[in-house]
Parts: sequence; C-alpha cells; structure tokens
Amino acid sequence: MTNKALIVAVSEFTTLTRSKAFLIGLALMPIIMAIAVGVQKFTRENVDTTDRRFVVIDRSAVLYRSIAAAADQANQSAFEGGRQTAPRYLPSEQSFAPDDQAARAALSDRVRKKEIYAFVEIPPDIVDPGSSASLTYYSNHPADQSLPGWIGGAVNREVLNIRFRNAAVDRAMVTRLTKRVEVSELGLLERDQAGRIKAASTVDKVRTFVIPVGMMLILLFSVMSGSPQLLNSVMEEKMSRISEVLIGSVTPFELMIGKLLGSAAVSFLLALLYVVAGVFVARHYGYADAIHARDLAWFTLFLGASVVMFGSMFISIGAACTDLKDAQGMMGPAMMFLMLPWMTWFAVLNAPESRLAVGLSLFPSATPFLMLLRIMLPPGPPLWQVALGVALVTATAGGFTYAAGKIFRTGLLMQGKAATLGEMWRWVRSS
Amino acid sequence: MTAAIRLVDVSKRFGGVTAVDTLTLAVPEGSIYGFIGPNGSGKTTTLRMIMHILLPDDGTIEVLGRANAAAARDRVSYLPEERGLYKKMTVRRLLRYYGQLKGRTLGELDPEIASWMARLGMQDWADKKIEALSKGMSQKVQFVASVISKPSLLILDEPFTGLDPVNAEALKDAVLEIRRRGTTVVFSTHDMGTAERMCDRIFMIFRGKKVLDGTLEEIQAQYGFDTVRVRTAGGVEALTGLPGVEAVNDYGQLQEVRLKGDPQRFLQQLAARGAVHHFEITRPSLHDIFVRIARPSAAEAGVPPPVMA
Repeated sequence: MTNKALIVAVSEFTTLTRSKAFLIGLALMPIIMAIAVGVQKFTRENVDTTDRRFVVIDRSAVLYRSIAAAADQANQSAFEGGRQTAPRYLPSEQSFAPDDQAARAALSDRVRKKEIYAFVEIPPDIVDPGSSASLTYYSNHPADQSLPGWIGGAVNREVLNIRFRNAAVDRAMVTRLTKRVEVSELGLLERDQAGRIKAASTVDKVRTFVIPVGMMLILLFSVMSGSPQLLNSVMEEKMSRISEVLIGSVTPFELMIGKLLGSAAVSFLLALLYVVAGVFVARHYGYADAIHARDLAWFTLFLGASVVMFGSMFISIGAACTDLKDAQGMMGPAMMFLMLPWMTWFAVLNAPESRLAVGLSLFPSATPFLMLLRIMLPPGPPLWQVALGVALVTATAGGFTYAAGKIFRTGLLMQGKAATLGEMWRWVRSS
Repeated sequence: MTAAIRLVDVSKRFGGVTAVDTLTLAVPEGSIYGFIGPNGSGKTTTLRMIMHILLPDDGTIEVLGRANAAAARDRVSYLPEERGLYKKMTVRRLLRYYGQLKGRTLGELDPEIASWMARLGMQDWADKKIEALSKGMSQKVQFVASVISKPSLLILDEPFTGLDPVNAEALKDAVLEIRRRGTTVVFSTHDMGTAERMCDRIFMIFRGKKVLDGTLEEIQAQYGFDTVRVRTAGGVEALTGLPGVEAVNDYGQLQEVRLKGDPQRFLQQLAARGAVHHFEITRPSLHDIFVRIARPSAAEAGVPPPVMA
C-alpha cells in the first residue's frame, strides 16, 4: 500500500462523508424502518369509522335478529377509551319479492345517494346444509371488504348454530372435539461442559428472523450507500479533466486503490454505526446474546469482499463513460447484480437449505448477503458451501479489481464517446 | 547542456493517426521553453507523454535525468489545458490534496499556499468552495496547485488562455519568478507574442513533426530579412499589385509584407503611390513564421491552382 493511495483514500472518504448522499445513506435505513412502523401504526389508528348503514332482505326469516344482535355487540366494542376505533354497523330490514327488480333499483339509488352503504339479500334455503345458495351483497364500494366480511361472519356463525341445532348436535361439544392441536417450536437440547442436559428453549422469531435479516439488510445498505458513489466520483474527475492532474502525480492503480479504500471506509463506517445502534436496541430488548462475534466476523469479511467487488464494478463504469446518460445505461445491469439479494432474500429465508437458496448464495454478487443470512439462520449451511462461497466471491472480487485496473487506466483519459463492452474487454485483455 | 527533458525518436499513434512522429527534443535545464503549433498538431500529446500520462509507442523519454518519467513524478508539475478542479472542495483543501500527492507534508504546504494566495490576491478565497470562484480565479488556483510543491520542472499547457490582461500579467510574473528559482518551465501557447517575449527557446510541432527548435534569433535567421513593415497613407490598398509582394499581413495601421526582391526598389514603387510614414526591413515575426508553416496549402484549402499563362 503506497502513501499516495492512502492520501487519495482519505480525500475520497472525507469528500464522501461530507456529501448529502452519505447523510441520506446514513439516515436511509432508520428512515425506511421508521416509515414502515409508522405506516402500520397510522393505518391501524386511522380506520374509516363512517357508519355502515345497510339493508337486509332476509328471505330465510331467521337470521336478521342475529345480525342485528351481532351489530349491537360489535358497535359496543367500536369505542375504546371514548374514541371510536371501528365503524358502527347499522342494519335495517326490508322485504320484497325475489323478482322485484324495481325494489333492487330503488335500494341501489339509496346507495348512490349515500343514504345506505350497501344492501344484502339472504336466500330462503341458506340454513339447509344441502343448499349451495349464497348471500348477495350490493354496493358501490367494491374495494371495501370490511362490511361484506363482517356480514358474512355474522351470518355464517348463526347459520352453523341453526344447522347444529336442527341436527340435534351440541355445538359446544363439537368445538371442543374439533379443537386444533398447536405446535410448540423448540430448539435442540444441549449439554453443558459437565454433561448436564439443558432444556430446549422456545424458538424466538427475533433471534431466528429479525436479527439475521437485519444484519443482511445492514450489509446491503452499507454497500449501496458507498460503492455507487464511486461512479460519480470517477465521472466527475474524468469529465472535469481532474484525472489528468491526478495521473500526473499518482499511478492509475494507486488512484483506483485509493478510491476503493475511501469508499470501503465509508461503507464500514456506515455498517459500524448501524451495527452499534442495532446492538444497543438488542440489549434494550434483552437480545444482547443473540449477536455473536462469529457472525460479526462473517459480516466484516463479506462487507470487505462486496465493497471491493461492487466498487470495482462502479469504478469501471465511471471510467468507461463520458456522460451521465451513458452511465445511467450501464448502471442498470450493475444495479441488477446489487439488487439480486434484495429480490431473493425472502425465498432464502423460507427455505435456507433449498437448491434455490444454495444456488443463489453461491452466486458471487449475492454471496455476501445471502450466505450471511444462511449462516445466521440455524443450523447454518455446510462448511463446504461457506468455503466455496467465500472462494468464489474472493476470486470474483480479485478479478473485478484486476479488470477495473485495466479499464480505469485506459478509460480515464478517453474523452468523446463511451467505451463499448467489446472495447472494455480488449482493455482488460491488453498487457 | 544539461537537459531537463530529453526525447529521442518518440512516436505516438492513436489508431491509424500518428499524433507525434519520431520527435527528438532536448529542453535545457533552467530555461523557459515554448511549445507552439496549430490545434491538433501533437503539443498536448507530447506534454502528456513527458508527464507519463500517455506512454510513447516508440522512442525514449528522459525527465530530470530519469529514464523512467514516472520516477520523477514528484518533481514535475503539470497544468493541463482543461482545468481540473473539484467544485465542492474548498481552495485550501484542494491545494493541500494536490500538494500531498506530490509528496509534500502539510507543514511544507501551508506556508506555500498562504504565500501564493497572497501573491495572487486570493487570500480571502482560501476557504471558499471552488464552485464559487470565477473562471480566472479557478485558473489561478490551478496554477497555484501546480507550483506549491516547488517542482524542478513545471509544464503548463496553455496557461494564459482565457485570462484577462491583469491576471495574465500576474501569472507571467509568477512564471518568471519560478524560473528565477531554478525551475525549468515548459509551456504551450497559441499566443506568439508571449512566446517571443518569454521563451528562451521555442519549439514548433506541426502534424506530429518538429519543424522549429531554437532561440527566436536562430529561428528568425532561418528566414533572413525577407520582411518589411510599412505604414503608408494608402494603407493595405497601396500594396495591391506591387511586384515582389508574396504575402501581406494587415494590422490596419501597419502592414507586414513578405518580400521577394530588392527592398529599395519596392520602397521606390511604394513611394510612387503615396506618402510612406514608416518603412522597416526586418526578420519575420514568430506569428508570421507560424502562419507560413501552418497555413494550409492551396490544394488542402480547396483553392484551385492558378492557371499559368
């Protein structure tokens, strides 16, 4: 490592950490998490509480009273602490002949005038177990599922009660007999050093889901916040002809290594801040023991490999392009590589030992993220898969750095037109 | 003569175009050496090869006694034609960065930065961002960036282009001061007057080949006293159709005439057309020499050849 590469790295780091992009990157993950939590809370607290007035045409003649009673019960629980938290259901009854379209049209007009929200017809044989008749719900709010859902629930409960009664079967007994057997998920029993057996503990979703996914996301955000900045940095130097001045003082390789180091330092700083914040949160909720030193070591290794791999890729693009339009065209495929783990992590989480998960976690651009996720999900992948993943990602990072060095050296001084992929390949192959 | 730069049979090709063709050149240590030549003639390519930014296809380049130009990198500074500055950096941070890349410590750089900023009247701008500077100020900052490392060899590509006369004067004084301290200065320029006044030696490259190399006197001597400067009552019209006139460079109040034949006879013929206020037999100016070499021939310019009677 030369002193000049370090000087470039310090300058790159200082410039990047003073940029708006860094501050946005720093705030991005907490902001996204805060928005996700906030949206959930907001949607929970901001339910549409408009009264749901509806007309019931009960041709079975046995269900309306139950619907009205269920509505009274629901309306009482629609208020919590003096504040309305759910809409009130306000049914009224009406009757007309099944073929009376004029009556249906009149009710439809009332819906349009917002006098009522909907109307529902209950067929006469609905309580017959052999009947295939269904409720008919009319409304001009097709997206709203709360009222038809509530009516369906209330009608079905009472229809089942009537059917059980008619069959002389005790409903309570049936409920007891058909009660589902629950599954309690436990980990494995362990022996301590003295050979004593420790009881298995209940599987904790925070340990098996939240922390592994959180660590993978921190890795992804840290790389995304640092490496793409290299493209802008190289392009600015190329377009402003700063690179000519720099190449008069340092070798292209020193310049590129300095830039990679500066960008890596930014990613490591972001990761450090996120991880430290995560550890504090984990400690606050009693999960301090859930983040292991071994996982942090893997995290560090994969972060280093990914910043070198993606940093080299973005440096190459910056050196090969001559304007932002060219760069945007080349950024697409590069970002696809970076987004691959983002698009597939859920499949890996659901089945970490599946062929798909193994294949994805051995694909070099996804290995740092998906292999880390698999390592953190018990029982973890076989050692050979981890070793193969590390070997592939190391070789890829090395290859990318080598190629970037060649492309950077030639592309940096090329003006006028962007390099084609064929030209870039020729530069890489040149001695 | 000890050479700060020595090029021997250097060639550089881009695809099928030969930008520099078997160029041999020696720049004496401690001199101010002017590179002139039309656009696209190979000046910048030559300077970039000296700076080891480009590598020659053939030939050898020796800089400050080192066969590998990269080895002398910290003792050579370069001001490129296209000014390269980070817009978001402050002037001080940028100068420190460029200076550190030349191997200087902050302890060495800070007094130099303060001194140069004061000398160029920019002391109040040291902590401003580059994007806040005018074009002239940016150019001065770029110049300071190239001299704060106290180089042994300073290479300036079009240093005076775009500067107003006051700033150009300040930069010219700075270049002379640097030379007095022992630095060899090489600069390219399109301003022939500047080259004539400032350079100890002048080198001209045309279509990649060396066409002139020497002191101004040596260069002019190659052309002899074939030029007269005249100021007449009739102006440029008074010269029309006079025998022996090969070319006229009209400056409005004064005309520079390239003459073939006896100047005394020419004076008689001119006086017969009206009052002659000034008549001076002289050597051709660098500007005239440049134009004679670089002006496209009639065939290249698309002008049909004269019909011979």
